Amino acid sequence: MGYLKYLAFRIVNAIIVLLIVTFIISALFVKVAEKNNMARMHDEMTQWERTTGQNILKTRGQEAYEKAKAAHEEFLKRKYELNLPYWHKVYNKAIRTLKLDFGSTITPLFGTNNISKIITVALPRSILLFTTATIIVIIIGIFLGVRAARHAGSLFDRSLSVFALLTYSLPMWWTGMMFLLIFAYKFDLFPLSSMFDPQLTGWAHVKDVIWKLTLPVFTYVFVVFGGWAWTTRNIMISTLQEDFIMAARAKGLPERKIIYGHALRAAAPPIVTMVIFALLGSLGGAIISELVFNYPGMGRLYWVALQQNETNLLIGLTYFFTVLYLASVVLADMIYGFLDPRVKVGASTKM
Amino acid sequence: MRWVDIKESFRDFLEEFKREKTGILGVILLIILVLIALTAPYTTIPNLPEKWRSSRYWEDNPKNVPPTWYNMLTSQKLVPQQVYYVNDLKITHISDTKTIIEANYIFPEGYILGPKGIMVRGFNVTTNAPFQVPVMNIYLLRPDGKRIPLLNNKQLNTGTVISIGRDSATLANVYIWLVNVTEGRELTMFEVPLDIILIKDIFATMFAKVEPGMNVDQIIESPEPLHGQYKLVMEINNPAPDQNQVVYDDLKVTFLGRSYGTMGTDYLGRDLWAGIIWGSRISLTIGILVSIISTLIGLVYGVTSAYLGGNVDELMMRINEIFASIPSLPILILIGATLGHVTLWVIVLLLVIFGWMGIARIARSMSLQIKEQTYIEAAKALGAGNSRIIFKHVLPQLLPYAFAVMALSVPGAVIAEASLSFLGIGDPTAVTWGQILNAAQEQAATTKGYWWWVLPPGLAIAIVGLTFVLIGTALDKILNPRLRRL
Repeated sequence: MGYLKYLAFRIVNAIIVLLIVTFIISALFVKVAEKNNMARMHDEMTQWERTTGQNILKTRGQEAYEKAKAAHEEFLKRKYELNLPYWHKVYNKAIRTLKLDFGSTITPLFGTNNISKIITVALPRSILLFTTATIIVIIIGIFLGVRAARHAGSLFDRSLSVFALLTYSLPMWWTGMMFLLIFAYKFDLFPLSSMFDPQLTGWAHVKDVIWKLTLPVFTYVFVVFGGWAWTTRNIMISTLQEDFIMAARAKGLPERKIIYGHALRAAAPPIVTMVIFALLGSLGGAIISELVFNYPGMGRLYWVALQQNETNLLIGLTYFFTVLYLASVVLADMIYGFLDPRVKVGASTKM
Repeated sequence: MRWVDIKESFRDFLEEFKREKTGILGVILLIILVLIALTAPYTTIPNLPEKWRSSRYWEDNPKNVPPTWYNMLTSQKLVPQQVYYVNDLKITHISDTKTIIEANYIFPEGYILGPKGIMVRGFNVTTNAPFQVPVMNIYLLRPDGKRIPLLNNKQLNTGTVISIGRDSATLANVYIWLVNVTEGRELTMFEVPLDIILIKDIFATMFAKVEPGMNVDQIIESPEPLHGQYKLVMEINNPAPDQNQVVYDDLKVTFLGRSYGTMGTDYLGRDLWAGIIWGSRISLTIGILVSIISTLIGLVYGVTSAYLGGNVDELMMRINEIFASIPSLPILILIGATLGHVTLWVIVLLLVIFGWMGIARIARSMSLQIKEQTYIEAAKALGAGNSRIIFKHVLPQLLPYAFAVMALSVPGAVIAEASLSFLGIGDPTAVTWGQILNAAQEQAATTKGYWWWVLPPGLAIAIVGLTFVLIGTALDKILNPRLRRL
């Protein structure tokens, strides 16, 4: 029962965060939109005065004109929501955001103006890139980390540590730019732009996608796996000094079983949490890397939204990103709770 | 904990730190970085941030050229920039009305192309008789004795800038000369094909072998360098020397290089080396400020939470968790984009808001242990207040850990700032590494192979990060002995 309760608690937590983020986003958005809408209303008003207004003034006289003008102004105010108080608008926007209604962009992207549709095209691509890279990082990182812990102090361990320190301070997107310069420009091994070819279908399309994913995935793995391996190594070293490992050794268990069966099992919960948070931290870098590679995912959309001042799109992206992020957090908590039998709401928060 | 104890434990700690080679390396790097940042105005260009965005300031620099030292690595050498001030020029006053200025340029053996252009500026003209303005003829004398007329009867005013190689009139003259030498024809200005002038590098042919009978297109396509001594001659005719005076004291003639300085230039001709050096200021300031402030906030938050305990603790940890699960980068992007103009202080503030949670957690769990110690109980029994116990007995114990966390959180802050700048959200009055990379991305520098523009800023970020990681891990190793190499 403890596990379910724990899980429910984490999910509620995630939902609260989502609500707060939505609220912040909406408050920011309304602040910007108010200015834009004011300007737009003003434009439309002068437009109206020049055409319909002039007409009314000529045919029906001053009084009717004033009346019509007031009515039209009222109509425009309602259209641009300028008649509502600030917090009311924030509330409205938050509700709309939660319903995934982000409005539309000014210029069409991927052949549509609807923001939800644009993001649903881009999101799977980002997830594809991120999950592929993450799985590779998990395998390499744990394998190397365990190896380094077993031979602590060896040349391999030292070089792994140095490599981890070096990559820890590298911006992922810059590494991507460098890899582009080296592998795509200089040696011409990979494409300079990872934009998919829209003409291809079926097997050719899959091949195209894999071909264009290679360099971004490689960049991600290169920057992230060192830190992961290093974390694993540190936790494993502590675990390998525990008494139960000595007991297992004394029993004469094979080394392989001791490492992967006993030590890694015991070290798993902290590894999982640390690593998931490290991964989530690198999510931002991954998003920016997309734009370096011209990979048509969420990151490039961010760039487009910033360049073309598409506030609506920016809101939508941030919201989706938050959902994705929180889903990963909940997933991490689930795995943690699954691995660590001590997990109960009270106990887990005190750790 | 008394002051003497702190001093003593600090001394012990220092002793131990001295034995960590990586930590010492980190400290040395940090000192170098701070020195570089402090001396930036003296070692490079003073007040760079004011000049960085004005494209006029960088007009005399070639655009998108690699650094000069790159010549040592390749066989196809690129000529460096050469500047002549009034003392380097030969000025002869032939008569009252005629002055000749000569600039000697040597195009040494081994270089593949001549300069990228020639800029002449700095005439100071006092015009009292507007109908008799001084005029100038410019031509280039080549080692093979040929003479290229570049400009004829150009009127001189204060602020006249002559840019041979960028200005289509001079390029047209070069083309006319080319055809004249090779084919013997005399073209007029209107017969010059404009597309070739604008797209091809006509200027390079001035420093190439041109003989009668050669093909013009071939020379333009692959100019064969003609090494030797060149002479740029400016003939100034001043028909009314009594009314109009020309002063040459500020004269500056630049032969634009095909390579430039220590780090080359970007698309506006900006000196990237100066940008990198100045960028260290922002990077270090933001990194250090953010890490110090957020560590202090986190420390106090965590300790208070642990000490107060109960429902307050629960609430404070909930708030912490909520902050920790907000994805910071997208929110930062959104805030930056909606604020419009973002100053450095706003960036520091934003990064602090999203940066204090980790240390708060560590501080809390550590002070939960300290809280159970008997001396805290003793202090309580003596009637010490909450704040006294926290600040006097608990916080000092955590300080060493705080330093480790501080050092380790600098790279994150530096990268976060650079990421924001890279996306175009940043202080437009500052020069930062992220902004240099942003310009590189916008101008597609990676797909054109401008490595000198992309490599140094990121390397600089990495070095700053590495410095603090080295210091931080050394501290960590001392404080967590279990992690030490076995």
